[in-house]
Amino acid sequence: MTGALPRPPRFRLAPYIEFAKKAMAREATYRFDVFTTVGSFVVRVYLLRMVWTALYAHNAAPQDLSRHAIITYSTVALLMGIVMDIDQTRALNDKLRDGSIATDFMKPINVPLYFFADGTGEVLFHAALLVPSVLIALLIFHIIVPAPAVLAAFLLSFFFGYLVGFFLNFILNCTSFWTLEISAVQLIVTWLTDLLGGELIPLILFPALLQQFIYVLPFAAMFSTPLLIYVGQIPPTRYLEVMGLQVAWIAVLGLISTVMWRAGARRVVVQGG
Amino acid sequence: MAIIEAADLRKVFRRVVRQPGIAGAIGALFSRQYEDKVAVDDVSFGLNEGELVGYLGPNGAGKSTTIKMLTGILVPTSGLLRVAGIVPSAHRQANAQNIGVVFGQRSQLYWDLPLRESFELLRSIYDVPRERYLQNMRHFAEILDLERFLDTPVRQLSLGERMRGDFAAAMLHDPKIVYLDEPTIGLDVVAKEAIRVFISQINRERGTTVILTTHDLADVERLTPRIILIDEGRVIYDGALERLRTEYGTHRILVVTTVDLPPDDFAVPGAVVEGRENNIVRLGFDRRSLTAEALIRRVLERYAISDVSIIEPDIDTIVRRIYLEGYQKDAVGAPS
Amino acid sequence: MQSRRMANVYRQYWRINLLTTLEYRENFLIWFLFTFIYHGTAIASLWIVLERFPSMNGWNFRDMFFLYALWMVAHALHNTFFSSVGEIPDHIRDGEFDRLLVRPLDTLFQAIATPGQVFPDELVLALITFVAATLYSGVHVDAIFVIFVPLIVIGGALIDLGLNLIISTAAFWFVKVDALRWIFIQLEQEFTRYPLSIYSRSVRLLLTFVFPFAFMNYFPASYFLHKHEAALGVPPVAGLLTPVIGIVFVAAAYAFWRFGLNRYQGVGH
Repeated sequence: MTGALPRPPRFRLAPYIEFAKKAMAREATYRFDVFTTVGSFVVRVYLLRMVWTALYAHNAAPQDLSRHAIITYSTVALLMGIVMDIDQTRALNDKLRDGSIATDFMKPINVPLYFFADGTGEVLFHAALLVPSVLIALLIFHIIVPAPAVLAAFLLSFFFGYLVGFFLNFILNCTSFWTLEISAVQLIVTWLTDLLGGELIPLILFPALLQQFIYVLPFAAMFSTPLLIYVGQIPPTRYLEVMGLQVAWIAVLGLISTVMWRAGARRVVVQGG
Repeated sequence: MAIIEAADLRKVFRRVVRQPGIAGAIGALFSRQYEDKVAVDDVSFGLNEGELVGYLGPNGAGKSTTIKMLTGILVPTSGLLRVAGIVPSAHRQANAQNIGVVFGQRSQLYWDLPLRESFELLRSIYDVPRERYLQNMRHFAEILDLERFLDTPVRQLSLGERMRGDFAAAMLHDPKIVYLDEPTIGLDVVAKEAIRVFISQINRERGTTVILTTHDLADVERLTPRIILIDEGRVIYDGALERLRTEYGTHRILVVTTVDLPPDDFAVPGAVVEGRENNIVRLGFDRRSLTAEALIRRVLERYAISDVSIIEPDIDTIVRRIYLEGYQKDAVGAPS
Repeated sequence: MQSRRMANVYRQYWRINLLTTLEYRENFLIWFLFTFIYHGTAIASLWIVLERFPSMNGWNFRDMFFLYALWMVAHALHNTFFSSVGEIPDHIRDGEFDRLLVRPLDTLFQAIATPGQVFPDELVLALITFVAATLYSGVHVDAIFVIFVPLIVIGGALIDLGLNLIISTAAFWFVKVDALRWIFIQLEQEFTRYPLSIYSRSVRLLLTFVFPFAFMNYFPASYFLHKHEAALGVPPVAGLLTPVIGIVFVAAAYAFWRFGLNRYQGVGH
């Protein structure tokens, strides 16, 4: 007996890419989803325009947010929603409900990474839906496109916001380890995110009192931060500050996710799902 | 008295053709291709009141499609169908009042509620007079041993208990005909027997016509004197179970255990070596051309034997052969 | 007699609903929280926006609150009695629907009378909200109000039922209608929040003559709030016609349902 530890199997990326591809194909089979996503996007932008137009017609406009700017804000928010408003790690909840999670633990794969790959596959498919939507937004709705540097900052911030959302979603799905009926909780969080994340209404329009504490919440990190960068309400001098906050949330939520995952996985292995 | 008449029944489905892979899935978003599938092709049969019939066939043969037409779920593409004098697809509700259905894979009981509540609701749906309802409930509770779990929520019942509940539920309104779709699937031996006893009893005591669809051929052997075999949408056999066995069950297997390891050229005239493992050789023969006794004698003339046994054809083998080889009365090839 | 049988079954159905709901008490609580937050965030959004932009085509927050509350009652009424219609596509997909065809009762009735959990909390919440909104908006509560509001609310629930039925009927053709349902739900929620007058002409036509959401709350609300808009030449008093509109719309939806059902029995699924 030599006493040397066996080397862990070499990490292979291939199976995870397969998982992602499967998720994409799965989403693609729902013919309706494709047309309805883009269709619903168009309709909602039209609605937004009419709402803001009516509001700006009869009231004093806020200083630095023109009607066109706010419509751009809302349109870009909807674009972000196409990619972010999906339950990326839904597979986790599904598998916990029907018990198939046990077989996943028996496979030689990193289970959380599997869910990440699966979720990414779904998201990538929806990202493909972004292409026609962005084109429509640009050519038909004429949204404002900021300077390349600002756009780059926006994209980076969007990516951070996506990660915040991912971990939040993961944490929610992890609660399925302990209680199966999470749909109500998920929906509650969804609605809160919509309101407090600045997806529906720019946070800068909130009454001053509320603004103090809303900006600190993770919801703002998901939508409001990148959106306010996009429309120029957050100047480049503050980029480090706001993106730093996003990263802080990623770290916190990532940590909570890890802890919950470990606890939950242990529970499955010990209790047998 | 004919209770079910089916003549030239035909059902054709249009299906969307899907190409595999991601490219195919995206392609399907823009255009769709169709193909026609004939699920039931010219099926005819008649059932008399009180008969107990097995309706068999491999998966995809058209069994469930036929049952769906009989129960009024599906409208036939063409052909004549009458159940208790009613055309099911034309008078769905009237037909529904006459029939009971047990789907083995799916329960009609309400999951979250005690069994009793499901029965109560079904009583109102089928409008069963109170007296008759109580009478039936008492009777079924007794023979199916339901008393114990009448007040247990259905989701807590074992498969066997739930199945017994489903049977009672199907019979509550004294249907003239019951359709049983895989009623014993997943049950243990004891539960299966209980269900079979029940089926036999309701058929005998109440004259209920029973159509049984099953893959468990033991059900067939125990219950149905008549079987209808369907394959690729067509009836390939309709008659007594016994006749099928005598006519088709001509193939037997003689299993011999040799004293020494059998040589590679082990052979016996009149029989075919169908398999061998160590000292055991399986010899297939046609009992019409060679009796078992004669074959054993031939084997003994050539080899030293320590043990023999004969495998009789069971329904399973017979039916499987029919699926594979197609039904031809004199077909089973005589061995060389 | 079919109707006696249906009345019996319906009574049983409600009894079972009650039992089931009591079985799952904790579930009830969390869904109540959800309902509260769902409507709460909607009203909060309106409040926040109208704090900053006090007038929307002449409608202020009090008006908008009343508008929302009127919709909320109709919607909650529908959810309490007819939400099971929304589960028909699932039943079609998993084969449970065939079970309804094998029973001697009208299939749609059976679908409506499928026992499950009910959440009357939304209706209670809606009624409370409506009373609050009525008082807050200063609407004149006269005989017409008292007589017509219940009728209008019922009419609104029928409009919701009609839409629900149309989408469920689509399941006879398409495997998944969740996306379709989600869109219509989103649209209904969002478009009924604001006065019809802010929309372009084509949208107004759509919401008045095709999917009559405008009759669920906008027209009746403009009547009671004495708004003098006549979008599309339809006077606010048309809001009193909502019950009729509801009946007509649901009848059309029912015809579509029968068409879909016939097809289902012809081609399977």
